[in-house]
Amino acid sequence: MHFFSQTFNYDHPWAHVVIGMWHKYPNSKCTHVVSIDTIDRTVDPVTGIIRTERVMGCKQKAPLWIVKLFGGSEDAFVREISFVDPATQNVTITSVNLSLSQFATCNELIRYSPASPTHTLFSQTAEIQARMALWRSAADGLEKWLVQRFEQNAHLGKLGFTDVLRNLWEERHRAPSPS
Amino acid sequence: MSQSLSPECTPLKQAYDSCFNSWFEGYLEPAIAASTSAETRAAYSKKKADEFQAKCGKVWEEYKACVQKAVKEKGLDKLLQQAREENPLVEPIPPLPVNPTKK
Repeated sequence: MHFFSQTFNYDHPWAHVVIGMWHKYPNSKCTHVVSIDTIDRTVDPVTGIIRTERVMGCKQKAPLWIVKLFGGSEDAFVREISFVDPATQNVTITSVNLSLSQFATCNELIRYSPASPTHTLFSQTAEIQARMALWRSAADGLEKWLVQRFEQNAHLGKLGFTDVLRNLWEERHRAPSPS
Repeated sequence: MSQSLSPECTPLKQAYDSCFNSWFEGYLEPAIAASTSAETRAAYSKKKADEFQAKCGKVWEEYKACVQKAVKEKGLDKLLQQAREENPLVEPIPPLPVNPTKK
């Protein structure tokens, strides 16, 4: 498991940051985010809390070996759930990768809360974790496959060389080279 | 404005986003002000939730139908279902405890 975290302040009031977060993309500095779709949204008629579920499409130039090994493509999708609570002036945004999630997960939590009437605290944590059980079973499967291939090839090697030896020496016995 | 994952949904997505943003910008600051008591908050929340439905409900239904189809076509429906089962995230995440020594 790997962790990442950072915090800093934006020089804007909380409400301005929270209005702004719906305008973050498209962004010339974050061109990897190519699509955003809201797939669910509720406004709680008692608490006023807005829950939004979105799917973000990202184009990441993954290293070629990752694409080959995991069958990934350039398109990666992320599920994002946000809660905007005006009463506590708290925003939380949770994200998790949908693509390649059978191999590893990246869970991110972002919070926006007022640091002062004119400043907003941003905090971000992420946990990146490979699914070890699956890795083990994949590694186990890979080893089994390699052993089978090795056994097959060893068997074919034996048959093949037997043929070569037989043909070579049968030929030479039939037609001894003139001395 | 950002694109939808399916180009055919982009016009509906942008119409819906505009509708939400315009509603949200009118919603947020009065919502903070209305949070002084549970009663005023509930009254304001109910009024604004109804208003959101009245303003954006129709375009939302159209956009939702389009994007749900696109999500299925990209094979994301199963991945979403799995993510929802692992972490439904239906309850808000509580705010961090206030540390009295920190400003």
